[in-house]
Amino acid sequence: MIRLVALAAMFLALPVRGDEPGTRKRRTPPQEFGRVVNQVKKSKMGPVVFDHWLHRAKYTCRVCHVDVGFAMKAGGTDIRAADNASGMYCGACHNERAKADGGARIFAACKIPAPADAGACGRCHGVPGGEPRHQYDFASFTKDLPRGRFGNGVDWEIAEQRRLVKPVDFVEGLSVKRAPMPVQKDFALGPKLAGMPEIIFSHAKHTVWSGCEGCHPEIFTGVKRGTTKFSMVEIFDGKFCGACHVNVAFPLGDCQRCHSKPVQ
Amino acid sequence: MSRGIPPDRWAARLAAAAALSLGLLAVSPGAPGAAPRLAEARAEEEGWLVEFEAVCARTQDAMTLSDEELHALVGRCDQLKPKIEGLDPSRRKVWSKRLQQCRDLYQFVLDARVKG
Repeated sequence: MIRLVALAAMFLALPVRGDEPGTRKRRTPPQEFGRVVNQVKKSKMGPVVFDHWLHRAKYTCRVCHVDVGFAMKAGGTDIRAADNASGMYCGACHNERAKADGGARIFAACKIPAPADAGACGRCHGVPGGEPRHQYDFASFTKDLPRGRFGNGVDWEIAEQRRLVKPVDFVEGLSVKRAPMPVQKDFALGPKLAGMPEIIFSHAKHTVWSGCEGCHPEIFTGVKRGTTKFSMVEIFDGKFCGACHVNVAFPLGDCQRCHSKPVQ
Repeated sequence: MSRGIPPDRWAARLAAAAALSLGLLAVSPGAPGAAPRLAEARAEEEGWLVEFEAVCARTQDAMTLSDEELHALVGRCDQLKPKIEGLDPSRRKVWSKRLQQCRDLYQFVLDARVKG
């Protein structure tokens, strides 16, 4: 236990790329954890400020990162207004036809270059020096959700199990009806460090959110179990588990959620 | 005629109007001759989507498929690729990436069997 706490402290103290050497990393406030800021290239509009917490409560990871086609890395999609206007990317749902869980129509993405304070544009695009006028307030939205220790301060896994959030896994016009997934067994991965609890990996928990093609082979390329050697340095660098567990899913400081098998 | 247009000019105008009307009828969606052409184009347009849905519907149970089935699915993905590359840029970006993800997963399962 002491080793685990010491390791957690060590990882939390690791400098992050972009930070000044010798300075402590600023812990991301819960409402900003999972935030993606996409700069706009060919317009005077402000950047799109996207918060994962709202969308992950309503849709599975797969819907957006497989069916809709958003890249796993921020800025990797190269979305243009014309794409949204033709019903792709944000426009797959933000089209005034698709309905949200409450039955209300989802506002349409702006179609032409316009000032950020004009109409719907300002709901996603920030004005210079300011943030977008988001419809949902983080504190109100998450107040009844189970608490988590890190990240958004929400335990999304329990929230989904208790059906407090019901992420939709199908978007009309883009998703395909898939064959049901056979039950996959959990398996253990040995840690590199002696004395660390083993990692219990649950395919079932991950596929609920991400499906298969969300991870294989783009993130986990190895085809033979046990041959890919993961290191925490690589994971903190955004590889392997870090592709999601650095910025969106529960963060890596929550060690025991993966290193969960008691040491024998 | 009442405005002093010669009869031969009237006849020419009538013939031109009739030809124009017939032309418009031929290309309008409701025209009997146009319907099969449009339906054909639509079927061709949606044909790739039907095939995409059929091919990529097996990603969740890919590990239960036989090698032959997986090879066949990979082949169908490759056949579908040129059709998707012919779409408009927005749709091409999305559907190409999806097709690639789908194909890569089937190939991944095949490779895992050989090397795993």
